[in-house]
Amino acid sequence: MNHDPFAWGRPSDETYGQYNEAIAGAPSFPKMNTQQPIITGTSVISMKYNNGVIIAADNLGAYGSLLRFNDVERLFAIGENTVVGVSGDISDMQYIERLLDELQIENNYDNSTGDGAESLKPSYVFEYLAAVMYSRRSKMNPLWNAIIVAGMEDNKPFLRYVNLLGVTYSSQTLATGFGAHMANPLLRKVVDKEEDVANTDLETAKKAILESMKVLYYRDARSSRKFSMAIIDNTTGLTFQKNLEVENMVWGFAKDIKGYGTQKV
Amino acid sequence: MFRNNYDGDTVTFSPTGRLFQVEYALEAIKQGSVTVGLRSNKYAVLAALKRNADELSSYQKKIIKCDEHLGLSLAGLAPDARVLSNYLRQQCHYSQLVFNRKLSVEKAGHLLSDKAQQNTQSYGGRPYGVGLLLIGYDNSGAHLLEFQPSGNTLEVYGSAIGARSQGAKTYLEKVMDNFVDLEDPEELIKTCVEALRQSLKDETLTTENLSIAIVGVDKPFTQFDNEKVTPYL
Amino acid sequence: MTSIGTGYDLSNSVFSPDGRNFQVEYAVKAVENGATSVGIKCNDGVVFAVEKLISSKLLVPKKNVKIQVIDRHIGCVYSGLIPDGRHLVNRGREESKSFSQMYSKRIPIPAFADRIGQYVQAHTLYNSVRPFGVSAIFGGIDDEGSHLYMIEPSGSYWGYKGAAAGSGRQIAKTELEKLFDKNPDGLSAREAIKQAARIIYLAHEDNKEKDFELEISWCSLETDKVHKFVTGDLLDEAIEYAKGEVNGSNDSDDEDMSSDDNNQQDEDGDVEIE
Repeated sequence: MNHDPFAWGRPSDETYGQYNEAIAGAPSFPKMNTQQPIITGTSVISMKYNNGVIIAADNLGAYGSLLRFNDVERLFAIGENTVVGVSGDISDMQYIERLLDELQIENNYDNSTGDGAESLKPSYVFEYLAAVMYSRRSKMNPLWNAIIVAGMEDNKPFLRYVNLLGVTYSSQTLATGFGAHMANPLLRKVVDKEEDVANTDLETAKKAILESMKVLYYRDARSSRKFSMAIIDNTTGLTFQKNLEVENMVWGFAKDIKGYGTQKV
Repeated sequence: MFRNNYDGDTVTFSPTGRLFQVEYALEAIKQGSVTVGLRSNKYAVLAALKRNADELSSYQKKIIKCDEHLGLSLAGLAPDARVLSNYLRQQCHYSQLVFNRKLSVEKAGHLLSDKAQQNTQSYGGRPYGVGLLLIGYDNSGAHLLEFQPSGNTLEVYGSAIGARSQGAKTYLEKVMDNFVDLEDPEELIKTCVEALRQSLKDETLTTENLSIAIVGVDKPFTQFDNEKVTPYL
Repeated sequence: MTSIGTGYDLSNSVFSPDGRNFQVEYAVKAVENGATSVGIKCNDGVVFAVEKLISSKLLVPKKNVKIQVIDRHIGCVYSGLIPDGRHLVNRGREESKSFSQMYSKRIPIPAFADRIGQYVQAHTLYNSVRPFGVSAIFGGIDDEGSHLYMIEPSGSYWGYKGAAAGSGRQIAKTELEKLFDKNPDGLSAREAIKQAARIIYLAHEDNKEKDFELEISWCSLETDKVHKFVTGDLLDEAIEYAKGEVNGSNDSDDEDMSSDDNNQQDEDGDVEIE
């Protein structure tokens, strides 16, 4: 077998002679879309509690392993009861940000209850983003992101995930990227099942989110200390906190770590 | 041949700034049989008088469902109404598919307006020859809209369009204060049928020629025909 | 118009021997019969107001909104054929959106006026379309400050301090002129809301037998440069003030329903239908 991918699907030279691009009308090189993200944002983490949802994401834009930008906002408020958190490629995120902006402007066209009964709800925003993500992946030209939409709808917390594959799912805790592995287990200690949400108050949930952000900052090499957190509470509405920092870190163990970097001993 | 020089197409203004072709299209509504609509705060109701071409033919459909929360009745050219209702069905689907959202009645009205307007500003076509009464129940409650081929769509508590519709309209104006706060959907339907009666001339309402539809809180768009209208006769 | 009937007025895009485009002039007539709309440019924003004639008591109050949002920072009101106005606004929204996509910023309002002007003018060029039967007043706040424009069916537009269109435009214009004479340094948006209300009420005096509803919107520093409808207390105060001013000048206070519409006018009072 010829293991060169560019030979696959083409008439074999042995049978038909050398492949002639001019006759086939084919480009000499296959058309290629995004194959990998460039500037990346790491995890978005989120969870429900008995009166709302919390979502958090740090402010880093990494260029490979270089911590290139440190003031990237990756949480976007849509009205008073929806927040969208985006991880993955930052330029694709910025494109999504524009889509969301247009969505909001268009919702105010000829809409006499645009800031009331017919305002944008989290499920509307989510369904739209999911449609965009799925249609882009079906064009083999994905937006390289994983997105969490958090909010309140009909007095119930809303939390749902969609990614570059167009895959969607919901859970009482959601996290993207590294957070899916590191934060989800921690958050699920608090809300293991959907029923646990009713017994979890804001303080407990907030503590779990802050703790998860700390663990992620410890263990995720593409994360930053500075982060943003949004709380959508059924009673108090939207609280958007920026420039938060991971607190109470303990680095005492660091001196004992061996085998990494340039240390001699 | 023509009543004047300015009524041959939709792209010619008369010296007084009128569009005769559009005005004639509004006349086409009056050729159709009457239909009445009204709404309370919780429900919206349609009633329509169906006509048959002759004894042996079936009755022309007057009410068309567009979605679980949206439907309309027509007066005028029925094929035009089918084009417009198909368009609304598409738009309802799109809204549901892309936004997980019921198309709001207000937006449905604007979509119809804008579609109808196109036919009044370019050569080669004609305006739609049908008036519509659009009812729906969305996030902001029950609504009734009256659509005209000119591209005007108005939100009303009650309306009647079609032949001799003025009788029903006058009746609706008279009883408006009573039906707007009605809680009982059955009472609302009765008022609507009673209004329809005000526009009858030789006809009498029968199970054959009466069509009713209702939509509202906890009530998807439901249509009543034939024996199902018996209680309201 | 002496040339009526000579055949040069039957098609759009045709000049008469004396160089006139009759179809455009006829479109202006459609505007002149329409309900009155007013725009005021202020030091800190713009205000739009429009008269909504109530042709039937079956109309739902506060619905059937006339003033439209074009973009966050641009509003629009028009007199004439309402469906034509909607067409124009839809185009305006496209232009504004395409500018934002291309340049990542809100469209400057003079640039917006230019694009809309091109579109309206194009509808005077071809016999396959007719001109717009509206005069549209639009404006808002951009990086350079507040702007107000009015565009006519011919496609020509001017910037205004105060603009008026529709059947009450003469009275409204006179009032606007007086207003700016009295306030040579301009006025605040809050004050302009009251004045716009007063002018609409005054312009309606000639058309008194018909009931009407007032609709006002503004785009000002108070609204964070966003075009918003004036509602609640602010609207009530403006109406109160307008009624007081108008009734004070000539004591008349009938605001009753007079709803025996004879179907001679369509529900917006914008097109005479026969």
